[in-house]
Amino acid sequence: MTRPYGLLRAGFPYVKCVGMRRVTNQSMDVAIGKDYTLYVLSRTGAIARLTLDDDDLRPIAGGGEDDGKFVWPVAMLIDDDENLWISDESLNRISVITTEGEFVRKWGEAGEGDGQLNGVSGISFDPEGDVYVADTLNHRVQKFTNEGKFLLKWGGLGDAEGQFNMPWGIKVDELGDVYVADWRNDRVQKFNAEGKFLFAFGSSGSEKGQFNRPAGVEVDADGDIYIADAGNDRVQQFNVDGLYMEQFLGDATLSKSMRRYVLSNGRTLRLREMASDLEAQKRFRNPRSIRLDDQARMYVADFGSFRIQIYQKDVVPLAEGEIDVPLRAPTLFTT
Amino acid sequence: MSENDLSLFAHLLRRAGFGARRDELEAYAAKGYEAVVEELLHPELRPPIEEDILHRYNGWDQGSGMAPAWLYRMINTERPLEEKVALFWHHVFATGTAKAEHPHTNMAQIEMFRHDGFSDMKTILVGLSRDPAMIHWLDNNENHKDEPNENYGRELLELFSMGVGHYTETDIKMAGRAFTGWTFEQPIPLYTTGLYPVNFEYNEDDHDDSVKTFLGQEGRFNGEDIIDIIVNQPATAAFISRHMYNFFVADEPQVPSWDTEPPQDPNAIEMLSKAYFDSDGEIRPMLRVLFNSDFFKEARFKKVKNPAELVTGVIKLVGTDRWPTPGFARYASATTVMGQMLMNPPTVEGWHTGSEWINGGTLNERVNFAVNQVADATKPGVGEIVDHLASQDGHVSPGQFVDTCLDLVGSLVVSAATRDGLMEYANAAGEVSFGTEAEREESTAHVVRMLQLIVATREYQFA
Repeated sequence: MTRPYGLLRAGFPYVKCVGMRRVTNQSMDVAIGKDYTLYVLSRTGAIARLTLDDDDLRPIAGGGEDDGKFVWPVAMLIDDDENLWISDESLNRISVITTEGEFVRKWGEAGEGDGQLNGVSGISFDPEGDVYVADTLNHRVQKFTNEGKFLLKWGGLGDAEGQFNMPWGIKVDELGDVYVADWRNDRVQKFNAEGKFLFAFGSSGSEKGQFNRPAGVEVDADGDIYIADAGNDRVQQFNVDGLYMEQFLGDATLSKSMRRYVLSNGRTLRLREMASDLEAQKRFRNPRSIRLDDQARMYVADFGSFRIQIYQKDVVPLAEGEIDVPLRAPTLFTT
Repeated sequence: MSENDLSLFAHLLRRAGFGARRDELEAYAAKGYEAVVEELLHPELRPPIEEDILHRYNGWDQGSGMAPAWLYRMINTERPLEEKVALFWHHVFATGTAKAEHPHTNMAQIEMFRHDGFSDMKTILVGLSRDPAMIHWLDNNENHKDEPNENYGRELLELFSMGVGHYTETDIKMAGRAFTGWTFEQPIPLYTTGLYPVNFEYNEDDHDDSVKTFLGQEGRFNGEDIIDIIVNQPATAAFISRHMYNFFVADEPQVPSWDTEPPQDPNAIEMLSKAYFDSDGEIRPMLRVLFNSDFFKEARFKKVKNPAELVTGVIKLVGTDRWPTPGFARYASATTVMGQMLMNPPTVEGWHTGSEWINGGTLNERVNFAVNQVADATKPGVGEIVDHLASQDGHVSPGQFVDTCLDLVGSLVVSAATRDGLMEYANAAGEVSFGTEAEREESTAHVVRMLQLIVATREYQFA
């Protein structure tokens, strides 16, 4: 797969919401199955299963230390066999379960040594199926085989290039490069597959391109980078070079399940009618993860508002010759 | 540095904080008493709790996460008096979650106490009167111009400022009318996307602007005018002073009896009241007078620990939980079974304190909690006590063993009978020594047992 030479960015409209409080509580992450079944990971340990049309397919998993249960789950992936991989920063393990909630296997143990984990959070497959994890409280990235065998590590506490302060989100793109949301350093770092530092962007703050505790990171086929800027209650999009593109503050409307609930509850209807400022309910609150599907839809785990907000990326890929060559400097010429 | 000095600092940190370990006490003592009092009185000089860490790990937007989060703050804050003052005002202005079902507002109220708790009574009472959690708790949102509800006006006078016996029923009605229109904006309801912050709203159209007579004064009083009058009353100074004495110095009778039961130390109340008027009702100068006074320094172990103090003191002693864990909720459960569900007091009157914290059930819970916590020698605080004993040359005699352990749990002073009981175990254990691994292992078990006996004593229930 090659990336386009250029892009016409036509828009990135909000599509809809799925989930609601009680169904998708404290949404930490979302995984998208092959038939667009959505698996929404709750901080409580439960995993809601929803259709893209917001029909509830009954939850699986739950809270606890037993196999297939979770205490402080953070991130979730779905593999080619439709198994769910979940990190648990309290139990220091990666668990694999089926989409019916049956336990498959687990690996990981607490510690500071090679292959040991201390507060594991973000996880990502690479193109070969190996697994990179953000080993948060060891302030490093580790790479494991699909079976959990230690392969590689880099990092250490600090704010120099290649160091981390409580990394959270991690993403390996289709080329094998690794992006890390360096949570407490308020930046994103990019490495090659072996951990060689490539570049970083971001600083502390709330201006465009700045971060307040970035959580999830995602990269799409165009090379665009998406950051769940949790502390700033927004998602930011950067291009392949880390150049700021735009921000998403949240545009939520009521999901189908929300409408059903509200319409059957006269008191809630009245209280909503009395509420003087409904704008707040559109906005993200502490978004913690972003995932993309093969239709260029962006799913945002809106942790504080118990839902998933979905956007549609609209771009036209451009081949060489369809767009001018890059300019060496900005210009005020217009065409 | 004499042991007596450390004992005084241990006393100060139990009252102005949630206890302190030996190394912390030594660091405080090196600064000098009055300097430490000043440092405690100025929390802004110390870094705040790391909110990002708390926010990341603690359950967010969940009612069940509130009390654990507060206990985490109490245990880990570098600003102990800030949290203690917030707990003090929570005792005085007791507001519960059970009625509102909106924990965000209760958390916001505690944050207000944290932020304004050292300021002046007018600021505090105005903030309280504008606080959505309090407005809902005492029905002031139902206090309308054409249908007054005097609930808030009554409790403002009876429980929050002057105390029974210093006002009339007419004053209550006038205060109630002055607060008509003090309400809050309807928030977006819990379903379907969780709770949202709530804002105070003054509805002028619903305010009774008529002339009112309150405590002998007449005017078109609004709520702030009422508070202006209240904060200038000697009764208010005395009432708040007595609350302060009851919370920080020594147990007083329960609040409802204060109109008939005189304070045990009228001179102390007078000193605090004078500080109140000398500083236009500011709380910080009152606390400065209190902590530097002889009556405070002489009041060691004259107060039963409230459950929050007991739990946090034990956890600080054993040195665990310096980082958020999923199990933090168990400490909130512990205070609850001991009779104190934080942010959910039984009534607006708050908790009955002092000896009323103790009954057969709660004492059992208090002792079991403390005994279980010190049972693990791998906990840092227990290990430090072992190391301290091991650092003493040669063998430790039974008497040294008892006295050192008493000292290291917070300069605890016990009765002769209690000490005899502890000596009985120490004599049975013989000299403790740490020369070999085997001796260390055996002696560590004795240390753990001794600590369990100490935290199970009657004296340990007192601050």
